[in-house]
Amino acid sequence: MSFLYPLGLLGLIGVPILIIIYIIKNKYTESVIASTYIWTLSEKFLKRRLPINKFVGIISLILQILAVIFISVAVAHPVLTLPNSANDYLFVLDGSGSMNITRDDKTRLDFAKEEIAEIIEDSANGSAYSLIFAGETPNVIFDKITDKDYALLLLGKIAPAYTSAGFTDTLGAAQKYFNDNSSILTYFVTDKEVEPSENVQIINVSGGEENYAVTDVAYSFANSDNFGKLTVTGSLVSYESDAELEIKLFLNGNAEPAYEQKADVKKLQSAPFAFVCEETNFESLKVVITNKDALAMDNEAVVYNVEYENSYKVLLVSDTPFFMTALLQSVGNASVKTVSTETYSKTAEEAVKGRDLCIFDTYTPEVLPDKAAIWFINPQQSVAKSGFTVQNEIEKTVGVKADYTNSTKTIYKTLLRDVLKEDVYIKKYQKCRLDRKDFLTLVSCDDNPLIFTGTNEYRNREVVFAFKLNDTNLAPVMDFITLSRNLLDYMFPTVIDESSYYSGETLQVNVTANCDSIRLESPSGKISYLDTSSAVSEVKLTEVGTYTVTLMSGETARVFRVYSALPEEERIPAVKSEAFSLVGEAGTEKRDGVYDDLMILFILLALIFAADWMVYCYEQYQLR
Amino acid sequence: MNGLIINEEFLQQLETLQTLVKNNVAGLFGGNHQTKNFGSSCEFADYRDYIPGDDITKIDWNAFARFEKLYLKLFLDERQRHTRIYIDASRSMAYGKGKKDEQALKIAAALAYLSVCEMDKVSIYLIRGGVADCIISGMLGKDSYIGSIGKLNFVEFDGDACISDAILPSAVGYGDGLSVIISDFLTDNNFEDAVNFLASKRRDILCVQVLSKEELNPKARGKMHFFDSENTEKYYRKNINRDIMRAYKEALEFVQSRISSLCHSRGADYMLVSADDSVFEIFFNKLINMGVVK
Repeated sequence: MSFLYPLGLLGLIGVPILIIIYIIKNKYTESVIASTYIWTLSEKFLKRRLPINKFVGIISLILQILAVIFISVAVAHPVLTLPNSANDYLFVLDGSGSMNITRDDKTRLDFAKEEIAEIIEDSANGSAYSLIFAGETPNVIFDKITDKDYALLLLGKIAPAYTSAGFTDTLGAAQKYFNDNSSILTYFVTDKEVEPSENVQIINVSGGEENYAVTDVAYSFANSDNFGKLTVTGSLVSYESDAELEIKLFLNGNAEPAYEQKADVKKLQSAPFAFVCEETNFESLKVVITNKDALAMDNEAVVYNVEYENSYKVLLVSDTPFFMTALLQSVGNASVKTVSTETYSKTAEEAVKGRDLCIFDTYTPEVLPDKAAIWFINPQQSVAKSGFTVQNEIEKTVGVKADYTNSTKTIYKTLLRDVLKEDVYIKKYQKCRLDRKDFLTLVSCDDNPLIFTGTNEYRNREVVFAFKLNDTNLAPVMDFITLSRNLLDYMFPTVIDESSYYSGETLQVNVTANCDSIRLESPSGKISYLDTSSAVSEVKLTEVGTYTVTLMSGETARVFRVYSALPEEERIPAVKSEAFSLVGEAGTEKRDGVYDDLMILFILLALIFAADWMVYCYEQYQLR
Repeated sequence: MNGLIINEEFLQQLETLQTLVKNNVAGLFGGNHQTKNFGSSCEFADYRDYIPGDDITKIDWNAFARFEKLYLKLFLDERQRHTRIYIDASRSMAYGKGKKDEQALKIAAALAYLSVCEMDKVSIYLIRGGVADCIISGMLGKDSYIGSIGKLNFVEFDGDACISDAILPSAVGYGDGLSVIISDFLTDNNFEDAVNFLASKRRDILCVQVLSKEELNPKARGKMHFFDSENTEKYYRKNINRDIMRAYKEALEFVQSRISSLCHSRGADYMLVSADDSVFEIFFNKLINMGVVK
């Protein structure tokens, strides 16, 4: 027998202390009484006692000592070693998305955990347990721990994955355990139909559950019969039986379905469907199978409109907005709202709310919007925090030629990409002084900046055309359109190219030039920040549901959504898998087991003796 | 002794006791006591044949007329009795919280009073060592009682007492009354001879054993070292537990039964009294039940 906490035996010091106290305290009480006659006579009537009764006088001390001894031993936690009675266990737990399939309100992962827990609980104390969770990547949850309770605690904390699980790496990890100890008992708990495997015991937790899935959902506006109208297509699958499935289409997050239909689906045969809608645009759509099955998460598919996600909202403040409106709709993915200068002067704060870009055409606001990119066209006067100062208007008698920058810097090349640099003449313009160093002058006249861009003091991107479009020949030429597109692309690049993914795939986010941070919120609410140091930031999607990507540029936030679906291979209730064999000859060595439930016994004994002592004391008190 | 035991209040209680006794029972100690001998009282007892020389005035002539034979009419004799009360005045009677001494004196005073009321003579003796010291002698009548009984207030209990040694040499009378021995009888000293002696003198005998509450039901537990109050060389040292308490009870019963058996075998009465018992309880319950008081 050994002790887990030998320091607990220090409590035995209490034994000699008790004896010393007993010796010191144990004195005869002297008393004079009327007569000792009867007392002396009583000796003749005293029954001859058993030798053991000699201990009756110190029964209190004996009980106290026994209580102290058992308490000390219990604190020291005695452990009995049982040679060669325990084993090493290795559990390989399939954590793929299909383990989320439910049966009797419990997932396959729950059943798998129950199987493992049962093995752990039935095993001899002193056994060592290791568990590899084969989720997105193999993950050793616990390694050769001997504490059953701790193993069960860690097992209980395992959360399901939503990706496919490749077992190659897992097998390698398990093989390493087997190489280290060929006597290890290996269990592979999965829902796959695994071929007979060597040195591994397969525990299958699948139960032939019913499952339907909606796949390959896509949309288009180019249907020949209904040109411009939204058409949603996809496929339905029933994995276990023929079924009549009801599907509903929800648009733009509405709770009521916009369209619905029924479809007969043969087992394991893909059944296409199509919704032809009246809508010509949408923000998001969701196709849902309403029939109940064992795996709910593959019964719906959500698609976000990439164009919509990448679009930006523009406020155009102009009294002659036609030209700019046409320009924005032709060169950018913009949603334009136009207000007159008079209206804006009255409702400035309300008008700029939620806008990604504010364009002021021949108008200067009193207060510069702080949460949007800014374009000034022919600014009339200076505005605080804009980063430049309007000095005076310069008017030429004849148009003078403006000059494109000759800089070879990449940024200039980007902004002037595809610009033919045709001759530009200007008759009248505003002379501006650039107060911030980061402004880039693209076109100038007499060394005065005509077209320049940079960031204002709110760190929002700003573009200034320091002239009226009527006072130059730039507007009608192609270069103006190209330059505007470059500027808009530079300010609002396409952030996401795709809005539909499978769990386990990688989401790519284009990092915009002025992006400060990219915040990613997973369907379960986990928040992470992506790397913004490179042009493209990547992140692996490991959950099923809608991810929200928020790009922060100064005070401006642009929000994008992508949907991550369960991988198709994980939707199949019964998948056949290759053998999960461990190479080598299995050993028969065992490890020493332990019996550590002795502590309870000692605690009970201590309690019994302590209680006995108290009862004895109470009896003695009552007799007085 | 704190205060007077035989005080005005106690005497008033005795008066009440006498009234209650008279109202409720036939008599006390026989009153003007009829003896077993024939005498000159008015109460007819028996007939016997006439023997020459007998007093002819006592011949029953009616019987002669009927039987033509001379019969002498016999009447019971009436004599004055002499009650002798012996009080154990050893230290063991007074030691501790028991108040055995007070109880002993009260019983003696009460018995003396009831005797006096019956026109008996009363003598009270204190037994110290081997001597019976008479502190009240031949007390007769209530006036004498009131005048003498106060002496009991000044009795000191000390030393030891040998009852037999004290009573045997003393004048105990012959067939003329009641002898009362009041003691705790917690002694190795001989008292059996005294009872035998009194019985041989044809005296009525009453042994009153007075024990304190602590002696009847000891509360001491654990390791105790007891010293005897009369002789400190005597001691008892034990860890007192349930077994010893059981043995003590048996020993106490043995002592009681030994005295009781002795008394019964000698036609004497035995009464165990707790020091806490009231005088009324002793007289009404115990003595009446025993038939000592009628």
